[in-house]
Amino acid sequence: MSDPDRTTIVILGAGKGGTALLELFSRLPEVEIVGIADREASAPGLQYADRLSIPTTQDLLTLIRHPGINLIVNVTGDPDLDHLIAAQKHPETEALGGAASKVLWDLVQHESQMQAQLFQAEKLAGMGTFASGIAHDINNPLYILLAFAENIREETDLATIHEQAKSIIDAGKRIQSICQNITQYARAAKARDATLVEVNTTLDEALKIAQFATILQDLSIVRNYEEHLEVLANPDELFQVFVNLMTNAIHAMEGKGTLSIASWRENGLGKISIADTGHGISKEHLQKIFDPFFTTKPEGEGTGLGLHNARAIVKKYQGELSVVSEVGKGTTFIIELPNSATQ
Amino acid sequence: MSESKSAGMFSGRESQGLVLVVDDEPDVRKVVRMTLEKSGYEVLEAEDGEKAIEEVKKGENSMLLSLIITDIRMPNMNGIDVINYYRKEWPSVPLIVLTGFPDMDMATSMLKHGIVDYLVKPVEAEKLRASVAKAMEQREVRGF
Repeated sequence: MSDPDRTTIVILGAGKGGTALLELFSRLPEVEIVGIADREASAPGLQYADRLSIPTTQDLLTLIRHPGINLIVNVTGDPDLDHLIAAQKHPETEALGGAASKVLWDLVQHESQMQAQLFQAEKLAGMGTFASGIAHDINNPLYILLAFAENIREETDLATIHEQAKSIIDAGKRIQSICQNITQYARAAKARDATLVEVNTTLDEALKIAQFATILQDLSIVRNYEEHLEVLANPDELFQVFVNLMTNAIHAMEGKGTLSIASWRENGLGKISIADTGHGISKEHLQKIFDPFFTTKPEGEGTGLGLHNARAIVKKYQGELSVVSEVGKGTTFIIELPNSATQ
Repeated sequence: MSESKSAGMFSGRESQGLVLVVDDEPDVRKVVRMTLEKSGYEVLEAEDGEKAIEEVKKGENSMLLSLIITDIRMPNMNGIDVINYYRKEWPSVPLIVLTGFPDMDMATSMLKHGIVDYLVKPVEAEKLRASVAKAMEQREVRGF
């Protein structure tokens, strides 16, 4: 029944530690999680396991006695349970508890922090792409603002002063809004559990950032949204994924084309597609685009981590990121994420 | 700054020249108009290349047009295309690019295409006027 190359594991304890382990193990193809147990029915790891379709129970002993298990990991922090495991487990089953499981938990924590830093580093590296666009969008209102302010110093006609003061305020507000958009994007994602994210507003916010990559370009943008669509994810991270995919799409079109953004519900999932009419991706590249450090951009222009991170983020929330592409016609990325209906 | 007289909208007799300002932002056009009218120029406004042609075709404008000040980011047209567009329509009218896009490569390439100046917003009034004056001189040298 079980694959000899795979390690079968049960996790005891579905608090913070158990949830983190579950998240990590579920990403490893070499590991099969047979079940997770916690005496508390409301433990976060049990709900998480439900979403992953991994069996859960409040009866720890059943899992301990379960046959064919390679490894029991006890992250309950309860030393008495280690004794119970030693007494009740099958002889061939190994057990990890006490200090050993603590070290494992520390490793998992460390890995998760590293990944968050990687997401952030890639995002900041990509900010260079937007520099000219941001400068352009700020320089226009800045010009209006400075020129009218200069004029007001000498202007005597009250009506003109009022009118130009209004233009100055409008220009200042435009700059303010650009700065808000940039800071929202640049800040590190807040570590938090998945929450329901309003997809369409997040897409529009991301578009504002991605458009900084479109200076001197002539693109039309088509949006086709399903109303009130929500998905379960970290909003900051999802925002990052959208910006990444849209920026790629814009770059692929090299100046002219149509960027189509759509959102819809399908089979209890929230789906989002970001499509371009750009140069497309060849078959040999298509297999590698999610690999870390794979890039077709000249050295110094791409980290090769954008799509890798995007997929890692989507997978973290039990979603999928897929791609369809045809050389010369364009590329479509599709994100699928659990939405409120599956909660 | 010497602003002995304010050259109003209809200062035909004293006009220093007719300048076409092309930018998709009304307030930017207003700022340029304000700056140039203070120095006695007449100003035509257009929001894009197509409107520019319409505007110049009105009345005697095409006879009087002395200079075009244009953004290089416009609907359906960008960068060098914009320059070529005006060149095709009015080969002898000098061009000044006024853009929010600080790009040395773009500036160099456009100057090679013979534009008078590549100005990056925000540009000081004096600098804009100096640039316009330079364009007018070049025009006179060329015999217009």
